[in-house]
Amino acid sequence: MTHVDDHSPLKDKVFKRSLFLFLFLLFLLAVLILISLGSGHLSLTPADIWLTLTGSGTGAQELLLYQFRLPRIILAVLVGIGMASAGAIFQGVTQNGLADPGIIGIHSGSGFFVVLFLYLVSLSQDQPPVWANIGLPFVAFAGGTTAALLIYVLAWKEGITPVRLVLVGIGINAGFSAALLLIQLRMSESDFNRAIIWLSGSIWNASWATVLRLIPWILIFLPLALYKARILSVMQLGEEMAVGLGTAVEKERVKLLIIAVALSAASVSVAGGIAFVGLVAPHLARRLVGGKFQRMIPVSAMIGAILIVLSDSIARTVLAPSEIPVGLIVSVIGAPYFIYLLITIKE
Amino acid sequence: MKKLVLSTLSLTLFLAACNGNEEETVNEPADEGVEEGVTEEDGEETAETESRVLTDGLGNDVEIPENPEAIIASYLEDYLLALDVIPAAQWSISDGEGVQFYLQDELSDVPTIPYDLPYEAVMEFEPDFIMIRDQLEQDMVDQYNLIAPTYVLNASPTDWRETMREIGTVLDHEEAAETVIDEYDTRAEETASLVEEQADGESAAAIWMIDTSLFVVHPERSSGAVLYGDAGFEIPSVVDQLSDDADWAAVSLEELAEMEVDHLFLISDDEESSLTEDRLWQNIPAVQNDAVYTFDSQSAWLYYGPIANEQVLGFIEDSIQ
Repeated sequence: MTHVDDHSPLKDKVFKRSLFLFLFLLFLLAVLILISLGSGHLSLTPADIWLTLTGSGTGAQELLLYQFRLPRIILAVLVGIGMASAGAIFQGVTQNGLADPGIIGIHSGSGFFVVLFLYLVSLSQDQPPVWANIGLPFVAFAGGTTAALLIYVLAWKEGITPVRLVLVGIGINAGFSAALLLIQLRMSESDFNRAIIWLSGSIWNASWATVLRLIPWILIFLPLALYKARILSVMQLGEEMAVGLGTAVEKERVKLLIIAVALSAASVSVAGGIAFVGLVAPHLARRLVGGKFQRMIPVSAMIGAILIVLSDSIARTVLAPSEIPVGLIVSVIGAPYFIYLLITIKE
Repeated sequence: MKKLVLSTLSLTLFLAACNGNEEETVNEPADEGVEEGVTEEDGEETAETESRVLTDGLGNDVEIPENPEAIIASYLEDYLLALDVIPAAQWSISDGEGVQFYLQDELSDVPTIPYDLPYEAVMEFEPDFIMIRDQLEQDMVDQYNLIAPTYVLNASPTDWRETMREIGTVLDHEEAAETVIDEYDTRAEETASLVEEQADGESAAAIWMIDTSLFVVHPERSSGAVLYGDAGFEIPSVVDQLSDDADWAAVSLEELAEMEVDHLFLISDDEESSLTEDRLWQNIPAVQNDAVYTFDSQSAWLYYGPIANEQVLGFIEDSIQ
């Protein structure tokens, strides 16, 4: 942990180190994206990719690259950014390192609303209207907000202690998961299967349309998150200290939660419930650049993006031509880390 | 058993061959709901401009290519083969391990594609036409459309005749599709008269046994439609009550015993099951009269389509004779 005084000469050094790290991660992500563009059931050599990118590839290569792989990779990057930064904010607000929107019920709240919405739409008419898909992030946001509100209300006891918040969140998660199952059992077989695949976290059906649905949410709420990062850092000093420093803690907490819910819900609406990203990425980021959220959020967003792009490349190559839901791969990577955290965290 | 399968298959092949001949002579422009078909005389040049447009199950207007050569119609292979059309790839699960075994005489050379049709797997076959049964999201159909024109069926998955006709229309083999249905119906009448002769007024049930779980076929679906609707067996009252919205409904051994069924078509992969030792099982009339006929779960009983049904008719005939 580096608690560096803002006027200290060390500041520049730490800043430079964080910037360097951020740029390194960006470079790593770029390399991964290039590898990911070339990997999949149909092989593309780096030369093919270069030719296609410079406009002299075959029609099939262009189709594969521009319409199938590129939107999918961009979606992976966006989802990674959304979920990781949401996780960072949640952990900051709750001051609990294990608070992940996937764990405390924000994902399942969003998922419940989305599946309920899809179910109701499928009941009322045969063909889902075009607006249904554009509405999905909003529905997910409503679900995530509902979950967050429920947690907040239930955990309220003359203010909210971080531990209560997380415990109540786990309860809410269980509740929404059960409700979700209830709807799924009422669905037709094909809808049920689709819901299962979607819920386990999947971006294989990515298209530019899905990218366009998600991108406004990231573009609006990520800058807001970065803007609020300083307040989040102040809140880490403890509630009394933060109030003493002139922070309206309760108000800021609500704002930060709204931002985090928006980021995670929009990601969930296109990719389903990918757990552990919101947990692992902020943790690694904290280890790398310390607990200051101004530095930690960008780095954790980068790590989130890298994690999902990497997992998705694995998801579509390891059993090609069949695909594995990306959420499962992330879990395979994330679950051991979660257990490691549980073992090493001392009360 | 093997002989039976072979003879059924050869019959199917024979029928398919008949259809093939029919096709060549037919080729008239289709009219129902079809925007001006293109006749042979018009030749290649006009074919591109005057292609047919049909409205599919998602409400999209799909431009149907003229004489598509590489068709992907996963899990609709039965219907395609009945029209003498060989698809570019065939449905499979478990990384190509699981296929529709009852069609393998004709599909053995056709490469497999995963059942959920990943985009890249579809691209690999460079299809010029894609036909899909499941109601997919519009987003996904849009993506498939980038690869090839994609048509989502209107017909109900539980109505094979409707499906056959629609696929016939889409592929411009309307009359061939009618012929497939007519010939099937003629064939079914033979079976029905045999059933009338051998087992008049007797009841039957198709039971799918997985370990110790039992499932009974819906009386109007899959092989149930063949058993009762075509072959003319009586429907046990319990079967009627059980059927809701599943092709195969779970049934308890007690309920099965209650059916007092005269003929039992048992679909099971296990040589022996603890169920058959049960007193309740032993008291089923079909068991006592030695009228239990066992088939493996890869046989046509669990499927839909003219070829599957034809095979089931053959199974029924062979069983009661």
